[in-house]
Amino acid sequence: MVRVEGPYDIQAVRAEWIGRKTAVIPGRYPVEYDAIRRHCHMVEDRNPLFLDPEYARRTKWGAVIAPPVMTRYFAGAGVWPPSEDGLRLMTEVPTRGARMINLNTEWEYLRPARVGDHLAAQLIITDVYEKTIRLDPRSVWIETEQRITNQDGELVALGRNTLCTHRTPEQVEQEEGARPQ
Amino acid sequence: MTTHSSDLAPLAQRYIEDVRVSDQLPGFELELGWTKMAEQVSGSQDFYPVHHDPGFAAEAGHESIFYNTGFTQAALCRVITDWTGPEGWLRKFRFEMRRMLVPDDIVQARGKVIDKRVDDEGGELDLEVWLETERSGVTTPGWATVRLPHRS
Repeated sequence: MVRVEGPYDIQAVRAEWIGRKTAVIPGRYPVEYDAIRRHCHMVEDRNPLFLDPEYARRTKWGAVIAPPVMTRYFAGAGVWPPSEDGLRLMTEVPTRGARMINLNTEWEYLRPARVGDHLAAQLIITDVYEKTIRLDPRSVWIETEQRITNQDGELVALGRNTLCTHRTPEQVEQEEGARPQ
Repeated sequence: MTTHSSDLAPLAQRYIEDVRVSDQLPGFELELGWTKMAEQVSGSQDFYPVHHDPGFAAEAGHESIFYNTGFTQAALCRVITDWTGPEGWLRKFRFEMRRMLVPDDIVQARGKVIDKRVDDEGGELDLEVWLETERSGVTTPGWATVRLPHRS
């Protein structure tokens, strides 16, 4: 996050950032087996539709598909190697604190993402506002929308997300005069 | 030819005719040990330290590390896809991370049918899904709409 030390004007941030959007940016790699396997491993998911190519070939989908909640993952560049892929727009919004808590996520899935599909994403900043939370009396919340498309330009998924950014207790004490309870 | 996935049992297909409002989705249980913490980082590729570095989490004002968004949504999604079977389709999904999942929690992942609409191609169901722990109760409520086919 871009932490602003000193005066912070939420109205100016709103005027500058709400409505900003990225280009449509392709994911680094196509939808692939091994990332799906790691995803399934963390929640002990043994669904053969996600893990067994022979089984999945015989289903109506014709191939292994990604669990729907992985759609966004495959439309991104991943964390390594570092990338200036533009979808970092959300973390470029000036905020009071650099600490983040992701809160609400809402997705609509319109098509499956099959192994081999190449997805792309576009991110739009839809709202920025202040809210009081236990950790920070003036935390800054950022709402975004993401549009995920496939190699044919078809809409695969639409997502909406709410991110809370906040200061550390030490920063709140320095800037507000009292440490959060 | 020997395959590596032959022990993966196909999931039963659920049809719209099989379902009644208030039916329960059986779900599953996960123990959040430290190995599971490592698996959530691997599976989600979310390396923000608040999810794996206790010192970083404490410095940010948290009592512990807490499990990340990728893990949370994967668990809720599995409740649904385990239940619908291979021809079901998760159409809409949202959830709220109200309380944190932390090491040593045992998570129960569950669901319930709250509405049903039948149409020519099958039907749609509205579901409530959630994660809960003994320590915190429901940590993560979620809501989904799924499509199921007709039996014939």
